[in-house]
Amino acid sequence: MIIMLENLRFSFNCKIIKNNDLKLTKIGPQEKTLLVGFPSNGLIGTFSISYLIHHLKMKCIGDVEVPYLPSTLFVEEGEILAPIRIYNKNNLFVIISDVPFDQYLAEKFAIAVHAFCKDHAIKKIMLVSGMESVNQKEDGPKIYGLVTHPILESELYDNQISKFLNGSIFGTDAAIISVFRKTNIPVMVLYAECHPFFPDPEASIIAIVALAKILDIKIDIKDIQNKIDTLRIQHRNLMEETLRTLQQEKKTKAPQIYR
Amino acid sequence: MNNHDKFEFGMTSYMIGSLFDDMEQRILSPLSYLREFDNYWMLEFDLPLVNKKDIKVIFDENIISIKAKLKEEYSEKKLGNITKFEYFKKSISLPKRIDVNKTTAKFKKGRLEIKIQKKIVGHSIKIN
Repeated sequence: MIIMLENLRFSFNCKIIKNNDLKLTKIGPQEKTLLVGFPSNGLIGTFSISYLIHHLKMKCIGDVEVPYLPSTLFVEEGEILAPIRIYNKNNLFVIISDVPFDQYLAEKFAIAVHAFCKDHAIKKIMLVSGMESVNQKEDGPKIYGLVTHPILESELYDNQISKFLNGSIFGTDAAIISVFRKTNIPVMVLYAECHPFFPDPEASIIAIVALAKILDIKIDIKDIQNKIDTLRIQHRNLMEETLRTLQQEKKTKAPQIYR
Repeated sequence: MNNHDKFEFGMTSYMIGSLFDDMEQRILSPLSYLREFDNYWMLEFDLPLVNKKDIKVIFDENIISIKAKLKEEYSEKKLGNITKFEYFKKSISLPKRIDVNKTTAKFKKGRLEIKIQKKIVGHSIKIN
C-alpha cells in the first residue's frame, strides 16, 4: 500500500484499519466466547479465570505447548498439567496460562490465541487483568473496561462498568489488544484495581462478579472469599516471577525523556 | 486437540524464583517490595493470616527484620509431604542514609507498610 503524506511518498507494507469499519452484528450470549487469563498485576487474571473454571466445572480439552521453554509441567493431585491449557463448557472457552510472558512470548501468545479463535469460530474475547492501585479506596477496588470494537461498549454500560479512559498498557494485554483490534473479533478487557506487587485475590472477586454478570451466569463467591489469605500465601512464587517479567518489560518501554 | 503447530515460541528467560521457606523451622518467607520516593523509602511486606499484635519489626544498622506469627497454622504439600508453617520471617538490607528515628509503620489488610525517611545530607551550591 502506498500512502501519500504531504509531498513525501512512503511505500510501506501496511494497511490502515479503522475498526469502526468492521461490520459486526450484536453478539448474543449463545455465541462462542473465549476468556483469557494469565499472570499480571495482583494475579487478577489467574485468580478470577481459574475460579470460573473450577466453579463451572469446565473440562480441559487441550493444552498449548511452548517448544523452547524449559519443559515445565505442574502436578496437581497426581495429574500432570501443561502450563497453558484450554477449557470448554457449552459455548464458553478458556485459555489460561500459569506462566507469565515476556514481551516476545506475549506477541506469540496473542497470535496463537487469534489462530484458536479463527479455528473455533469465537465471536468475542474477554480478558481479565489487574490495574495498579497503590492507594486503594475505602469502598473497595473498582473495575474498568476497555473494548477494541464499539459493538462491546453497550455491554460495559449495561453492566455498570466504567470505561478505562486514560493510561498506558503493556505486556500480554497490550499484545492481545494489538492483534485483535485489527480483526473482526472484538475484545473486552476488564481491569480490576489491585495491589501492584502482591497477589490480590480480594480484588479478583470484583472481576469474577463482573464476568458473571456479562456472561449471564450465577457464581457463588463464598469459596474464594474464605480462601483469600491462603491464596495469597500459595501464590507468592508466581507473583515474584510475574513481577520480574513485568519489570523486564517496563525496562524496554520508552526512555525517561519521553515519559 | 493438538495446537503444537500453532505455537512457536523462540526465546525464553524463564526461572522460577524462590522465597527460601525454612521447612525445618516452619518459617515462610513473605513477599516484600521496596520503593523509592523523593524523601522516603516505602517497604511493604505481604503478611496474610497475621494479626497486628503478632508482628515484630527490628532495626539493626541498615537491616530491617520482621517476624510475624500466623494466627493459624498454614500447611502446604511440598515434595509429597505436608509441611506446616507457623511464622513469617525476613530481613531486608536497606539503602544508606536513612533516618531510623523517623520511621513509621502501619498494618492494613494483612500488608505491613514501613515508611523510612531519608537523611538529607549535603550542602547547597551558590548559583552565580
